[in-house]
Amino acid sequence: MARFLLKRVALSLITLWLLSVIVFTAGQVLPGNVGRAMLGPFADQRAVDALNHEMGTDRPLLVQYGDWISRFVQGDMGRSYAYRAPVAPFIANALANSAKLAAVAFLLVVPLSLAMGVLAALHAGRPVDRSIMVAGMSATIVPEFVSGIILILIFGVWLRWLPISATWPPGAGFFGQLYHLLLPAIPLVLILFGYIARMARAGTLEALDADYTRTAVLKGLPQSTVLWRHVLRNALLPTVSVIATQTAYLIGGLVVIETLFRYQGIGSLIFLAANKKDFPMLEAGVLAVGCVFAVASLLADLIYSWLNPRIRFGATE
Amino acid sequence: MKPSHALIELFRSTHGEVHNQLIDSLLAGRLNRREFMRHGSCLGLSLTTLGTIAGSVGLIAGPRSARAAGTGGTIRVAQNAPASAIDPVKIADGPGLAILSYVGDFLCFDRNDLTLEPMLAESWSPNKDGTVWTFKLRQGVKFHNGKPLTADDVVASIDRLADPANGSNALSAFTGYLSKGGTRKVDDHTVAFHLDAANGSFPYLVSSDNYNAIILPADYAGNFEQSMIATGPFKLEKYTPQVGASFVRNTDYWGGQVVPERVEATFFADIQPQILALQGGQADVILQAPVLQSVAVLNDPNFEVISLPSTAHQQLHMRNDMEPFKDARVRRAVALTLDRPKLVQGLMKGRAKIGNDSPFAAVYPMTDKSVPQRERNIAEAKELMAAAGMANGFETTLTTERFLEIPDYAVLVQNAVKEIGGKINLNVLDQGAYYGDAVYGKSPWLDSVMGITDYGHRGVPNVFLSAPLRSDGTWNGAHFKNKDYDQLVTSYIASLDIEAQRATAGKIQRLLLEETPVIFSYFYDYLTVVKKGMSGVVTTAMGQLLLAKATIG
Amino acid sequence: MSDASAAPRPVSAPETTVAQERRERAGQLLSSPTFLTGAAIVVFWAACAIFGHALVPYDPLADDMLNTLLPPSREHPFGTDQLGRDVFSRVITGSRDILTVAPLATLLGTLGGTVLGLAMGYSRGIVDEVLSRIVDALLALPTVIVALLALVALGTSKITVVLVIAFGFTPIIARTVRAAVLAERELDYVAAAKLRLEGPLHIMFVEILPNVAPPILVETTVRLGYAIFTVATLSFIGFGIQPPSPDWGLSISANYGLIGGGYWWTVLFDGLAIASLVIGVNLIADGIEGVVNG
Repeated sequence: MARFLLKRVALSLITLWLLSVIVFTAGQVLPGNVGRAMLGPFADQRAVDALNHEMGTDRPLLVQYGDWISRFVQGDMGRSYAYRAPVAPFIANALANSAKLAAVAFLLVVPLSLAMGVLAALHAGRPVDRSIMVAGMSATIVPEFVSGIILILIFGVWLRWLPISATWPPGAGFFGQLYHLLLPAIPLVLILFGYIARMARAGTLEALDADYTRTAVLKGLPQSTVLWRHVLRNALLPTVSVIATQTAYLIGGLVVIETLFRYQGIGSLIFLAANKKDFPMLEAGVLAVGCVFAVASLLADLIYSWLNPRIRFGATE
Repeated sequence: MKPSHALIELFRSTHGEVHNQLIDSLLAGRLNRREFMRHGSCLGLSLTTLGTIAGSVGLIAGPRSARAAGTGGTIRVAQNAPASAIDPVKIADGPGLAILSYVGDFLCFDRNDLTLEPMLAESWSPNKDGTVWTFKLRQGVKFHNGKPLTADDVVASIDRLADPANGSNALSAFTGYLSKGGTRKVDDHTVAFHLDAANGSFPYLVSSDNYNAIILPADYAGNFEQSMIATGPFKLEKYTPQVGASFVRNTDYWGGQVVPERVEATFFADIQPQILALQGGQADVILQAPVLQSVAVLNDPNFEVISLPSTAHQQLHMRNDMEPFKDARVRRAVALTLDRPKLVQGLMKGRAKIGNDSPFAAVYPMTDKSVPQRERNIAEAKELMAAAGMANGFETTLTTERFLEIPDYAVLVQNAVKEIGGKINLNVLDQGAYYGDAVYGKSPWLDSVMGITDYGHRGVPNVFLSAPLRSDGTWNGAHFKNKDYDQLVTSYIASLDIEAQRATAGKIQRLLLEETPVIFSYFYDYLTVVKKGMSGVVTTAMGQLLLAKATIG
Repeated sequence: MSDASAAPRPVSAPETTVAQERRERAGQLLSSPTFLTGAAIVVFWAACAIFGHALVPYDPLADDMLNTLLPPSREHPFGTDQLGRDVFSRVITGSRDILTVAPLATLLGTLGGTVLGLAMGYSRGIVDEVLSRIVDALLALPTVIVALLALVALGTSKITVVLVIAFGFTPIIARTVRAAVLAERELDYVAAAKLRLEGPLHIMFVEILPNVAPPILVETTVRLGYAIFTVATLSFIGFGIQPPSPDWGLSISANYGLIGGGYWWTVLFDGLAIASLVIGVNLIADGIEGVVNG
């Protein structure tokens, strides 16, 4: 188990390092130069050169990268070129916002899709099953901004039940924030529902078919107990891995939702930084998303192996 | 002699040649009251003096709006988030310069009618040829930390902006006219600006038009966001990047009692949530509302739209040195395909004024209004194309930026030239990508065969005449190189006398109509939206917001 | 992902059995309601893409500045946009760009992914390890972010959008192909080919490829749905299709700021169009998957 963990951590670190190199390279190819992007197109060229020199952006690439990576590892994410302020608080704030939205989405989608998946499995092959699966897969493929706009029109503009901007007024409490996050969370629920329900269904089917279930039924245990103790655990397994793989998307891939609902999450922070050639912010943002993904995968593997005795005690990979 | 004439004779005997020419023009009826006030204020005459003289010649002004009584309250402003750190030296964006206007003051202030009002300077005057301008500073002004304002502070502030090593955005205004060291102290309350070349409109360069030029303490050492020490009506309380800022009343303000107790600015990513905030009662003022996205609010009776005629515009340039636009006849043909009144009505919802293909907007007093307005004329356009050998039309690419209504304007241009056989392919870029490195060879803005660029308001057209159109201009996307034009512009900028300015302007306008390197089809209004019942809100087309005397209804 | 009915077949198998099976599969497909519904939707939009321009009542590009933002009416069933253009005509002709870019990107991605996946799955060892690490790194980031960063660096045009999406799909398809190849390579026919001294390229492309084709087909159709999704999304955030194209994502991007003002018709119909197309493609993918997996 420990060896398994260590190996996974090592792999994650390599992946993250590769990621930082890739983003660094991409960042240097972005059009325009930093001084110009900050001062605007109408500023004097001498001013731009002076600023570039001051920021150190006219040094060779390798030097800049080396400088940056050594400091990042120690926790110093550098100073934003655009805001002349430490990057870390921006990232932290954006991550917190994205996490809140992801949490609301998870809270809504996990119980719903698990319930639907199990239901579909219990009625396998019949219309209920078919319609849940088709509905799920259809909802998954519709782009978030399309469902988002339709939802805004219905609930925000016509019915006026929910606010159309996700940014809550300063000082809003828990319920105020929740109120503002409901509408943007729904497109995410739609996207994830089909996938998780399908996994839950497959897991449930497998469990229903398994020997230990039949044994339990033969022993005379009521169906509900069988369901709860054996079947659900199996259904949860693939769900956990799905949640892990979707976490990166939920935290960093929501540029569209964040744009549509005017929400300051990490996706739009990265987007803004890319446009402004704010290299420290961009790199920090992308690596933050990568780290979230790595941690989520690791956690998922841990939970998976805990739930699945075969992995805990075996050595197969 | 009648009393009015006595007054004028007294004035004449105590003022120099330049001011006397101004009186001559007024008496001969070549200036109306507004132009007289504006030009006179530029020359350093106080508005009271000007008002009195104008009155003595029989020109009466309209009533000034009454000042509201009572003090207190919090004004909540909704605005876009500043694009970068709040640094007076480097700021180049609208939301940022608005913040400067809450906490800082300029030597003089460019009012909505383009007259200059004294602010930290009480009066100013030029020498005979406009190469030295002397400003007398107001007494008794204090910075937020209690330190009194003296000439040393002004010298330090302006010199800092004129010094290339500091990389200020203001350099683009000062280049060629004011260098480092040109700002000199005469005594504790007098500053003289020694210019590199004559400039009849110099005071605009140290007015609110040059939005970086707020006066800071001489010992300012950077990190403005920390405490924002300046002389303005509001003092910084707290600033959080990307979120908002709060300010409290400056009880020692030189401008008298500051009415609101607090100002709270909230930053948004764009206009939609600002409108929502206003409609939802969470904001009292929207700093700037672009026409298209604000259609909803513009007709709402709960809100009032402060509409300032401004000289902000979009420049549609055509490369004079590349096909298909090498021949001026082709450029004129393109200009003739545009239906300008429809553009103003349909695209800008009436909130703009038609342009005549030169920087001389109708709202500028020195514009020669006798120059005929270009109108849509497809028949003439086709003739020109045939004469230029392009009866079969042309194909080219229009590169531009995703900003305000520009992509829509581009589509309309694309459709318009179809009538003369023109086929335009659009390439709409992100703003940063369009400007690129902002140097020739590395910028779609400056290299594209055809492009549309946004230009913000200026109190005088000097910047518009120089950088985008002079042979040595750094913003010359059209690559327009015309010696006659260069000479006319130099003499225009140097003249102190408004009649001379207007005569030269007329020549420039006609030259540009003939050559049409750039199409100026409209100058759009600057819109601010406030809750109904608010008064005392002063805005500038530059983007400043003065709330010292503002009350909520 | 392959199952019993797609058992490995030596190249010299009798022709008739293969053809018979293909016909059987086709029959299954054509009687599947999901497939038929999906196909109907896609064929409709494809027809619009090809013939739309000739059949719509108004020129989708012609502006009418005095009739902007009119709500739906007899003359304009879907209303007009902020340049006075007829929304109905634009929605119908808006399928053209997306149905050109997305399939092309998917095709390129499939080609790239197949080659990569074959190489990785067949060679194993160092090559596989290194490539897998790089693929992992790229997959750690959401596709949209990768596409965005690439487009900011390369500038936007239809070609770059195609290349960027194809590039984004390659690792995903490679993964699927690699897994399928791993299952195949241990089978008898591969060993037989090796004994015949066939080279690795021959083994990969002539022997293994036909047998992993079914899962690739399923994956490709699923990817097509995602390609349409991604193109629409990129247009929405401002990269990709240029004005004045009536492309749906572009229209929504230009008009969603107007929703608050009540101008819903400028975005709703484009949104429904996108939704119907992606669902249609997905239903087709679902149908094919059902047939392939028995």
